[in-house]
Amino acid sequence: MSALLTPPAASGSLIGQRIPKMDAPDKASGRTRYIHDIDLPGQLHAAILRSSRVHARILRIDTTAARALPGVHAVLTAADVPDQQPIGVAKDHLPLKRDRVRSVRDEIAAVAAETEAIARQALTLIEVEYEDLPVLADARDALAPGAPLIHPEPHGADPAKPGLKPGMPIAFAGKPDNIAMRFDYTHGDVAQGEAESDVVVEDSFSLHYVTHCCMGVSGVIAEFDARGNLLLYSNTQVPFLHKREFAEIFRMDPGRIRIIQPPIGGGFGSKLDIYPFEIISVYLARATGRPVKLLFNREEEFLASPTRQPVLLTLRSGCKRDGTLTFRSVRTLHDNGAYTSWGATTPFVMMQTFSSLYRVPHCDYHTLAVYTNNPYAGSFRGYGNLQATFAVEAHMDQMAEAIGMDPLAFRQKNAQLQGEVSGQGMVFRSCGFQDCLTSAAERSDFAHRHAEYAAQRNAPGAIKKGIGIASMLHVGGGAKIYPSDGCGTILKLDDFGHVTLITGASEIGQGSETVLSQLVCEELGLPMSAVTVVNNDTDITPWDVGVHASRTTFIAGNSAIGAARKARDKIFAAAAPRFDCAADDLALRDGHIVRRASGEPLIEIARFLRSLHFSDRAELVMTTFYYEPPSVHQDKGFKGDVSAAYAWAAQVVEVEVDTDTGVVRMLKVTGAHDVGRVLNRLGIEGQIEGGIVMGQGYALTENLLVENGNIRNPNFRDYKLVTAPEIPEMDIAFIESMDGEGPQGAKGVGEAPAICIAAATANAIYNATGVRITSLPFTPERVYRALHGVLPPVPPVPPIVERPA
Amino acid sequence: MMNAVERYLAPTTLAQALAALATPGGATVLAGGTDLMPQANAGRVKAASTLLNIRRVQGLSAVALDGNALVIGTLATLATLQHDALVRAQAPLLVDAIDHFASDQIRNAATLGGNLCNASPAGDTLTPLLALDAQVELARLTDDGSIATRRLPLADFFIAPGRTRREPHELLTAVRVPLRGTGQIARFHKAGTRPALDISTISIALAAQRDDQGCLHDVRLALGAVAPTPVRAHRAEALLEGRRLDAALAAQAAQAAADEATPIDDVRATAWYRRELVNNLTRRMLDDVTQA
Amino acid sequence: MSLKHEIRFRLNGVEQRTSVDVGLSALQLLRDVIGLPGTKYGCGEGECGACTILVDGASVNACLLFAVDCDGRELTTIEGLAGDPRAQALRQAFVAHGAVQCGFCTPGMVVQATHLLAVEPKPDAASAKRAIEGNLCRCTGYQKIVDAIVDAGARLADTTAGDKQ
Repeated sequence: MSALLTPPAASGSLIGQRIPKMDAPDKASGRTRYIHDIDLPGQLHAAILRSSRVHARILRIDTTAARALPGVHAVLTAADVPDQQPIGVAKDHLPLKRDRVRSVRDEIAAVAAETEAIARQALTLIEVEYEDLPVLADARDALAPGAPLIHPEPHGADPAKPGLKPGMPIAFAGKPDNIAMRFDYTHGDVAQGEAESDVVVEDSFSLHYVTHCCMGVSGVIAEFDARGNLLLYSNTQVPFLHKREFAEIFRMDPGRIRIIQPPIGGGFGSKLDIYPFEIISVYLARATGRPVKLLFNREEEFLASPTRQPVLLTLRSGCKRDGTLTFRSVRTLHDNGAYTSWGATTPFVMMQTFSSLYRVPHCDYHTLAVYTNNPYAGSFRGYGNLQATFAVEAHMDQMAEAIGMDPLAFRQKNAQLQGEVSGQGMVFRSCGFQDCLTSAAERSDFAHRHAEYAAQRNAPGAIKKGIGIASMLHVGGGAKIYPSDGCGTILKLDDFGHVTLITGASEIGQGSETVLSQLVCEELGLPMSAVTVVNNDTDITPWDVGVHASRTTFIAGNSAIGAARKARDKIFAAAAPRFDCAADDLALRDGHIVRRASGEPLIEIARFLRSLHFSDRAELVMTTFYYEPPSVHQDKGFKGDVSAAYAWAAQVVEVEVDTDTGVVRMLKVTGAHDVGRVLNRLGIEGQIEGGIVMGQGYALTENLLVENGNIRNPNFRDYKLVTAPEIPEMDIAFIESMDGEGPQGAKGVGEAPAICIAAATANAIYNATGVRITSLPFTPERVYRALHGVLPPVPPVPPIVERPA
Repeated sequence: MMNAVERYLAPTTLAQALAALATPGGATVLAGGTDLMPQANAGRVKAASTLLNIRRVQGLSAVALDGNALVIGTLATLATLQHDALVRAQAPLLVDAIDHFASDQIRNAATLGGNLCNASPAGDTLTPLLALDAQVELARLTDDGSIATRRLPLADFFIAPGRTRREPHELLTAVRVPLRGTGQIARFHKAGTRPALDISTISIALAAQRDDQGCLHDVRLALGAVAPTPVRAHRAEALLEGRRLDAALAAQAAQAAADEATPIDDVRATAWYRRELVNNLTRRMLDDVTQA
Repeated sequence: MSLKHEIRFRLNGVEQRTSVDVGLSALQLLRDVIGLPGTKYGCGEGECGACTILVDGASVNACLLFAVDCDGRELTTIEGLAGDPRAQALRQAFVAHGAVQCGFCTPGMVVQATHLLAVEPKPDAASAKRAIEGNLCRCTGYQKIVDAIVDAGARLADTTAGDKQ
């Protein structure tokens, strides 16, 4: 085993300890009030009428009967809100549909009533007359010349306004096609790379629809106060971006919008976009003058939530006989659905994997997001990386086999080392990639089992075992896609040594409030019980771009540390003259100011703070800090060091395949995660285990069945989440590569554990059966069909023409 | 749907319950509620004007022996049956199936009678009871106010998904399972990735007697989720009747069972795959019996 | 409008009397009529277990139980388990083992696990997993929940054994 950089924690240090989550006791006793549990006095309940057609003109909406139902306060259609603004990444999405419905979730009307039952009953009284239009259910059909246009009307972001990032293509009005977005990436010269290759493999892959299935369904509460200020109770993961968007939509001063974030029943990226139901609730609050609460039911949650981005992918990879990778050439086709959300931008992340997971000298990637009448995709833990890694890691195994090289050795030959710069310009300052591969392989007995199981493929018996390895690369220090990727902290210490940590970073169940408290307590020598975290009110908290890109521990952590160090420095500056020493001679430990060298306690921190307050100086210790990570915006070619740190993981998945039924059981996952440094051991294990099981669902059991624009299984009965008896044995190790910029050396891990499970599972199924399956999920029927040679192959992605300069 | 209900009754005697069923307009029967509630929420049930809660009717949840039969009261919950000593001894096939049924929470509420009257072709207690030659007992009120019962073989009870031969004025009161002697063979398998909490892709229940020469008698092979109702694979049974099992016979019988099945394509699986499962899993089940 | 029916039942040890729509579920009764929000709505069709409560000592999905059928029965919700020793041991174990992330599934898990420990005092991991097969969690991957249940059972059993000495 190579030397892993695990510095011993100082005695009394909180770093690396198992620290229980601060809100866990309340949650375990049922005391926590989620948005579903909050009721405002005088509130009305809202419900939304969604389209019953996939693609149709709206000829007539009659709300007369609905309005007349006792208990109904307002019924709104597009006609009632002529000042509606289109929302979304491409500004192509009107909250209340006016002339057309383009998908089966489209919002047509909304009701606010005394009770939810009355509101839903009112929906049944609304008459809608449609004229059906041809349905585009396949992105390839939507690309065909002469295909009906999903968005013939003007839409798109104003190129003059500062958008997401420079160079990001947005669809504009008047284009005679259904292309919503396209990306083109190149580094090196793939033609040269192909010429240098001894082995070239090409395959097409199909990645499917899955959805977040947060246990708490979506909801919002909107209220205007007497001064016309808007209060939103929202589970958004991006409160400050939300605030700005709402201000634009409602033409309000953003200072008059306040967002309060109740504890969330799961996020996973589902709350990164702005959704019609939130805006509609505000319209209802405006129309009725009352607070309006809207909750989805579970069926609506399935029908109306964004999905993970489905991808059709064709990958061509090459290597030399000695195992050196030469090139990757990729094209993907993304079903954009009826409206553009974050799913269309998954190529940002996918190109990082294509260009930089392993050392690849030449790479090109072209992709189109195409409008259809299907549900649209949003952001979902991993954000395109699961899809990209699925293809890349399949080819790693295939090329290794083609040249007769051990799959682990092939990967190690191409895995980057600390200090390398990837083809896309990412600088790998801390890099535990090699250690991840070695650790996962050794602890899972990979080499031995891989050979043994392959040898058993044709032995008698229906049950076959297999083992597969895959790795992943993801940003671990934020992603500079907005003008700022920073986070602000306000810290105050009171007269009793109690700390209030006010952070812009949202808690979405991942334990950010606990880890941030831990970092602050580490700086200030205080116990965890000394901290209160405030993180859920935009009137109080400083700006943070939001919970995404696995950035919170890194960026909010550094922000909290910055504020804590300022507080510490302030204390030392005031204490040094009193104890006749230099500020550098002091430290904070166990609630005391101590002499750094000897550890001799000088005074209790709380007592010192009181003496500072009630004295001639009359000073309180309150500090602020805004941390902007030293990453850069990518250039127009998407090159640049977009994150302050990068993280790796390698996972080995061991499976058992029943060839009589196609059932794949995931027996064990052995993982090694380069996390920089373990901060809260309990929290990080929980994130990894949860991510693994989410990856297991993606690989084996979850499948949102979309047919001709309809979702056939909008319920837990037929959309299969992994249940407790199905989970694998999980053996996780942490590689502590001690990132120089990360808080105490830590990097972000929120998305990492889900990313390469499906890829490793595909390799394991191949090891067990000799059959490579290039479409997900590996349900029993799909695997069975593949084993019997009756699974239809994935068709290649049509050629994507280079965009004219 | 529930808006149509004008009267709610929760009688404590069977006579009261039957009287309610006999009134014009009929009654929607409520027992455990684990099927009725989701169906009502989804608008899939047309509630009669009376909602009849039979869960408090006395004398309908007992498990007892009656001559040659194990008699299970309709209101016995699946959880109770799972742990009942008599059921475990006399009908382990049923216990095996219940172990794969839904979840603990649902087993604690769901009743055997409810599962039968819901008549899902994938119903987990239906295939084993079919393989055990079970009978249902149906009660009704006669013109003079007395209670009359009739018995029906389970094989004749199911008509179509959700439809049984229970008349609207009848109540299923008990299930009778003939006792078997020694040499009883029983196997149950439910295909899927989860131990429970799954609507069967297919389920198979096998029951038979094996004599001292190793020959099978009274072979019953029941299949679930491969037809509009749970069915017996008669041709497969005929192939096995009186014969000693070996690998070749197992394969032949399995193929016959697959040929007899008439599954459909639905959101859970295709017909082709279901037939493959019937074939492979029946063969595997019979091979297991051969080696036992 | 829907027919109403009066019911009397015990909730968390206290007698209740109220009039409910015949179509109302016990979940709606608890949350909307009585105002106890600890029992959660996850799916409304008995697939996720977030609404698990105890009725006459056994765990059931409140979303599948008709409120009218609560008449004469004894209901216990997560709130009512505040003083229950098994539930206390489970809550402590859930916290200590990191079995809580977003926490939405947690009340249902604790109620279901309380029922498990009543019928099987010292479950192993396999038993614990089967016991919560009707409780979905999207955050934790279940491992730490299973660890917590096994640990709570072991501790309670040791305490009981210690008491007997």
